Amino acid sequence: MAEQLQEDWLDARLRDEAVYIDDDGFTGRVVQQLPARQQSRLSRAVILLAVTLVACIVAYLISGRGMFLTHTAEFLVAMPLATVCAIAGACALLVTVVGASAAFAKARL
Amino acid sequence: MSLTDADLVARILLDDDHHAFSELVKRHQSAVRGLLRQLTRTDAALADDLAQETFLKAYKNIRSFRGEARFSTWLYRIAYNCFREDARRRKELVGIDETRLEAEPDPQTVDPALRHDLMHALSLLPLHERTAVLLCCQNGLSHDEASRVLEIPLGTVKTNVLRGREKLKKTLAMWENF
Repeated sequence: MAEQLQEDWLDARLRDEAVYIDDDGFTGRVVQQLPARQQSRLSRAVILLAVTLVACIVAYLISGRGMFLTHTAEFLVAMPLATVCAIAGACALLVTVVGASAAFAKARL
Repeated sequence: MSLTDADLVARILLDDDHHAFSELVKRHQSAVRGLLRQLTRTDAALADDLAQETFLKAYKNIRSFRGEARFSTWLYRIAYNCFREDARRRKELVGIDETRLEAEPDPQTVDPALRHDLMHALSLLPLHERTAVLLCCQNGLSHDEASRVLEIPLGTVKTNVLRGREKLKKTLAMWENF
């Protein structure tokens, strides 16, 4: 009982010692050193979407109004099956390597 | 109605809101600076530098705060790591012996007429016991929270608090005879 009372007294004394420290410009100094504000997520999304749209329109116009798509499709249809399989395999391998690297980098963080 | 710490963190995450962060700094600056002053043995200038570093690190790593612990607990952890890093840096620069840093009494507090008796008793504690006592008894953290802040096992925190308390009691009992 006496032990408990002594501990309570000790805790109370310790808490009494934790006096409030006046801010005295501390917060201002911290905020001054913060990195510049980034643009909000919404504005970033709007900018990204607008730039993508413009890029798509430009690509469409300078490529003969999408004729390159027809040409590419024709080229792929005429390609030997083994080549198509090799290209697909290479793409799958590339995506796997990129994904694994990203996962590894994230796990290290 | 005032916003909770979690609300303010959400605002920072959503909109990089500096105003919300400054509110968090205002709320916690006293506790963080107080803890660091105790750890640095009342070196207010060094403690404030470390406190600034603590808040800047908190801001940069705010995404890693997942809300599992109280925001103050998370801040104490960053503050303690800043203190440890600084002690290590100073040790490398001027050859301070860390064991001496942990065990040697603060020369400023040797004269009981100059310093408060409890602060003197605290300064006599080794760093690990002083930190555990400050976090649990002064700042009101649970043993579990303190073990997260200090990144040591729960049992070690309990032992450090117990030993720290025992030493404080002994020192203060001796002082009562004056």
